[in-house]
Amino acid sequence: MNCFPDEVIGHIFGCVTSQRDRNAVSLVCKNWHRLERCCRKSLFIGNCYTISPERVIERFPELRSLTLKGKPHFPYFSLVPSGWGGFVAPWIEALARSRVDLEELRLKRMVVSDESLELLSRSFVNFKSLVLVRCEGFTTEGLAAIAANCRFLKDLDLHENVVTDLKGQWLSCFPDCCTSLVSLNFACLKGQINAGDLERLVARSPNLKSLRLNHTVPLSALQRILMQAPQLVDLGIGSFVFDPRSEVYNNMKNAILKCMSITSLSGFFWVYPHCLSALYPVCMNLTTLNLRFAAGIQNTELIKLICCCGKLQRLSIMDCIGDNGLGVVAATCKDLQELRVFPVVRVGGNGPTRVTEKGLVAISMGCPELHSLLYFCQQMTNAALITVAKNCPNFIRFRLCILDPTKPDPDTMQPLNEGFGAIVQSCKQLRRLSLSGQLTDQVFLYIGMYAEQLEMLSVAFAGESDKAMLYVLNGCKKIHKLAIRGSPFGDSALLMDVGKYETMQFLWMTSCNVTVGACKALAEKMPRLNVEIFNENKKVDRDVDDGQKVEKMYLYRTLAGRRKDAPELVWTL
Amino acid sequence: MFDAAMAVVKPEMKSYIWLQTVDGSIQQVEEEVAMFCPMICQEVLQTGLGSSKTYAISLPQRVNPAMLGLILDYCRFHQVPGHSNKERKTFDEKFIRMDTKKLCELTSAADSLQLKPLVDLTSRALARIIEGKTPEEIRETFHLPDDLTEDLCQEEKLEPLRNITDDPRIRLLNRLYARKRKELKERKKLKDVEVEEEPKDERSVEDLLSFINGADGDIKGTRANKNKKKNRRRKDHAKDISSENTNENDKELNPLPSAYHDVNFDNALEASASKHSRTQNLPAINFSPKFEFIDGDVDDDLDPAMKEELDREVEDFARRLNSDWPERMQILSLGQDRRLVPISMNSNGSTHLYTGFDQR
Repeated sequence: MNCFPDEVIGHIFGCVTSQRDRNAVSLVCKNWHRLERCCRKSLFIGNCYTISPERVIERFPELRSLTLKGKPHFPYFSLVPSGWGGFVAPWIEALARSRVDLEELRLKRMVVSDESLELLSRSFVNFKSLVLVRCEGFTTEGLAAIAANCRFLKDLDLHENVVTDLKGQWLSCFPDCCTSLVSLNFACLKGQINAGDLERLVARSPNLKSLRLNHTVPLSALQRILMQAPQLVDLGIGSFVFDPRSEVYNNMKNAILKCMSITSLSGFFWVYPHCLSALYPVCMNLTTLNLRFAAGIQNTELIKLICCCGKLQRLSIMDCIGDNGLGVVAATCKDLQELRVFPVVRVGGNGPTRVTEKGLVAISMGCPELHSLLYFCQQMTNAALITVAKNCPNFIRFRLCILDPTKPDPDTMQPLNEGFGAIVQSCKQLRRLSLSGQLTDQVFLYIGMYAEQLEMLSVAFAGESDKAMLYVLNGCKKIHKLAIRGSPFGDSALLMDVGKYETMQFLWMTSCNVTVGACKALAEKMPRLNVEIFNENKKVDRDVDDGQKVEKMYLYRTLAGRRKDAPELVWTL
Repeated sequence: MFDAAMAVVKPEMKSYIWLQTVDGSIQQVEEEVAMFCPMICQEVLQTGLGSSKTYAISLPQRVNPAMLGLILDYCRFHQVPGHSNKERKTFDEKFIRMDTKKLCELTSAADSLQLKPLVDLTSRALARIIEGKTPEEIRETFHLPDDLTEDLCQEEKLEPLRNITDDPRIRLLNRLYARKRKELKERKKLKDVEVEEEPKDERSVEDLLSFINGADGDIKGTRANKNKKKNRRRKDHAKDISSENTNENDKELNPLPSAYHDVNFDNALEASASKHSRTQNLPAINFSPKFEFIDGDVDDDLDPAMKEELDREVEDFARRLNSDWPERMQILSLGQDRRLVPISMNSNGSTHLYTGFDQR
């Protein structure tokens, strides 16, 4: 390999696409490090405070594509105080100052301002792809700047962001010469959209493959859009409300019949269930169906729809489908790989029964290819988990969320240790695990013993002593994200193996038994870890006694030192 | 009559290109096959060579007869029109089934002949070999030197420790670090004569990458898990000794580290660990370089009465230098309490370490 000319090695590196493999390649030897540095175009940074933007730019001068993440990952609880951080501005400013020719930017859980979007849109001539996932802080004015200034924009993907809508005219800012769009997603916008602007934009975008609309796009516009863009592959319908006996139904059905390339369907924020039959013709080709926010579709209509989807690989639904609905999924969707079942917000306690262990067992029997699961449910049993582990040994991600997080096995009143033990023992490739239900230290022993590939673990109200945490830290060699909530782990667990934290991306502990003194000691010992403590939305008293328990602690490794943008209520030790 | 004459002439018009590899052997190749290589095509068009044995085209050095044979097989198949895409894919998949070394040679040869489709094919195959491997595994597969982590680790470990309390032990350790850093610089100087180009951003590069993304804990050079098992530690020592034996240059350039790999020293360390003794009675002869160094400095900085105590502490420092980094940091912070805690890899040792912290 040493006889290779540099361009050949660079060419081989160009075929190595995974970020992890690129990282490994750069650590092989000096020559590979030098070459990898010069030809690295795509970079993933899991925590924006790990490294300074200047350092990244200096090291990777050919950077074209950057993925950044900000706030820690707890989307279902307001555990991170507002104003915590995750600001993208320093990164965009540094990139704009440099000679980097940025083309793609993907941000997740970051705070993005209109000024940053404006600067982004003006600073990079070849910018073509902006993906914002669960970000906040910007308005449609920022989007207008992106639309107006990015001449070669291909992707504008807004996924579950919190956006302030000032006016619906931002679509008109796409210049008439803009014909490059491949992906457009504004499903999360709340405000009105100018339908005429949208239709004209779609009409002049022959390469458009993915279009996700918000709930304000009228049905007539949707129909005209489908007639103009039959090449669509991914369609998000915001509003699907019309009389199934009307002419609109026939027109819609005819328009949909022309879109036989559609393999992904999502949205349905406002939906009249009986209209769904208009979609049946495209269902047979669907590989992805996301009804995560389709609260209007109830059990019967949902089951009818799923009966038409024989090729599904990825399914997101609400738990109103019930166990019998999951039985239909199991019977119909033999190729299913990813399943997410979310809880419906019920008012007054009435409503359809939630899913239970019965539904999950049915899925495991019918869908042997399943490797990714997120399952909110009423209850779970050890026997069911053991059966699931036996039927689906290919799990990479197994996230169970029992709505009462300390509920034992209702059949035996025992903790769920043996069930999760079976999961970690049977699923050799398990990388992500979320625990739920009543659990003792035993389950952590199983995890430490068997979960060799585990990278991320979420724990809630589980365990009995510090030993549980130590089992995980000692046993899981590849663990790099550990999130612990409401569990009795204290100072001795935190301080037993502090060197481990430098091999991890973060440790998050909330409502546990760690003290201020222990956090101080840890921060002092490990200068390259940032140890932050904070309360819900209240300032931490700096003069507090060392014996005081910490409400929230967030610990992450960094080469950039203490961050300068921490708000007053965050105390960086 | 005329048609018959044409039929007779046609076979005689078959053309060949003469190619010579670096070892001097010359062979005759069908023109359409050889011309499939852009480099050969250019050479024929520009220089007119290749038309006879005496005017053979000289191929680049990276193309040996074996590689040329493989490349011509590839060209023979792909230059023929009419193969379906499926047939071509099937051929390609069979074609790249070879060991890594040969695959590397083939990539290099194809690149020198500017045969891009084949370079793409072999590059993707090599990339697939790389995928999923750790840096150590990649190094082993491709026989590459471990010249990155070694330097960076050593340089990083030798950064001066912060001496807030003006602890004489910290000061002494910093002095030892400075000495070792100096040695590393001198060694690096020798290497620099050979290395033409250096990476600009060398410091803590490894940390940068492992920090940027969740690197596996077991990547070499990353902070080792402190709770190593006893057997593992013994194995590591054996590995160090063998690697030291196979590297005479390092031994010559780096006399200080070699002392650490002395068998007697290792045995003494094992013995002391098993004894759980707080006082280390190690053979003094193994530390003569450091004693020589320290004697010169101790008189300047410290009370002569403390010299005897320092001798013991120097031995303690030497032991710590051999510790893994997190272990050293932990020991040092414990040491600032002026209380020596024996190192043991068993659970008792862990308890002791924590006990020491608790009493702080």
